[in-house]
Amino acid sequence: MRVALEGRVLSENDRVAARLREGLMESGTLSLNFIGSPGAGKTAFLEKTLELLPHDLRIALLTGDIQTENDAIRLAKYGFPVKQICTGGACHLDARMVEKHVADWPLAELDLLLIENIGNLVCPTSYDLGEDGKVVILSVAEGEDKPLKYPGIFRKAELMILTKTDLLPYVPFQLEMAKQYARAVNPLIEIVETSATTGAGFGQWLAWLASRMETKRECCDSAIAEVRKVMAC
Amino acid sequence: MHEMGVADSILQAVDKELLRYPGRRAVKVSVKIGNLAGVDRESLHFCFDSMVKGTTWEPLELDVQPAAGDELDFSALELEEI
Repeated sequence: MRVALEGRVLSENDRVAARLREGLMESGTLSLNFIGSPGAGKTAFLEKTLELLPHDLRIALLTGDIQTENDAIRLAKYGFPVKQICTGGACHLDARMVEKHVADWPLAELDLLLIENIGNLVCPTSYDLGEDGKVVILSVAEGEDKPLKYPGIFRKAELMILTKTDLLPYVPFQLEMAKQYARAVNPLIEIVETSATTGAGFGQWLAWLASRMETKRECCDSAIAEVRKVMAC
Repeated sequence: MHEMGVADSILQAVDKELLRYPGRRAVKVSVKIGNLAGVDRESLHFCFDSMVKGTTWEPLELDVQPAAGDELDFSALELEEI
């Protein structure tokens, strides 16, 4: 006897992610999932971002690692709430871990939720964390063909942040090729070149972030107005 | 790398489906996996077989069918009477 089996294999994760997304939609909180190799500069990029963002912005961060609280300690210096997720071996964050760690945060009062995933270009790609968008981080100390080697994440990300551009004079990284490869995999991907050491490119990144936050808020406001209209009928 | 978790999700779905068919056991579960799903088929087979071996799931087999993009979906379940 053969029966049809429907649904996605990771449907349990999708169910939790949908619940998270719904919560973030009600509050208009923008949530971004940062994915990159170990050593790509994810934490340094977020540190510089926190340093430059207005201190009255309501931001919270989750940072994932296999072990240690090191990244949470680094990120906590900027005065925003931070929680470390230690997976103890798992190679990615999943929606359940995120839900558990944001449980005692007032999501409705947040403008921005930043999630630094485990250093890995493969597994985190498959797990929806209820985020609005994925941001892939690629450093110029890596190979410029990473987008071709790991097409999954470059295809799903809406923004590629190139980090450590201050090292360009000293490394053989071919910047234009990297961008070309990323666009070959995902023609719509946006690209920002940054250096957390010099601060280069952060103006462009923060402008992207501000516009994305505004779009989310407008989107939520109109969705809420729509729901209220229906309820009033 | 996360194939163990994927194998676990497949086995959980099989158990859930079996509740609807008392007196039968599952012999083959089919899933569709796209090239961009980030799942290595050989590794998934290895994890799946390791989890099934020596348990009440035996003789359940995993059948992987090709699919487009990042699809990672269930397809079918073959049952037999115990």
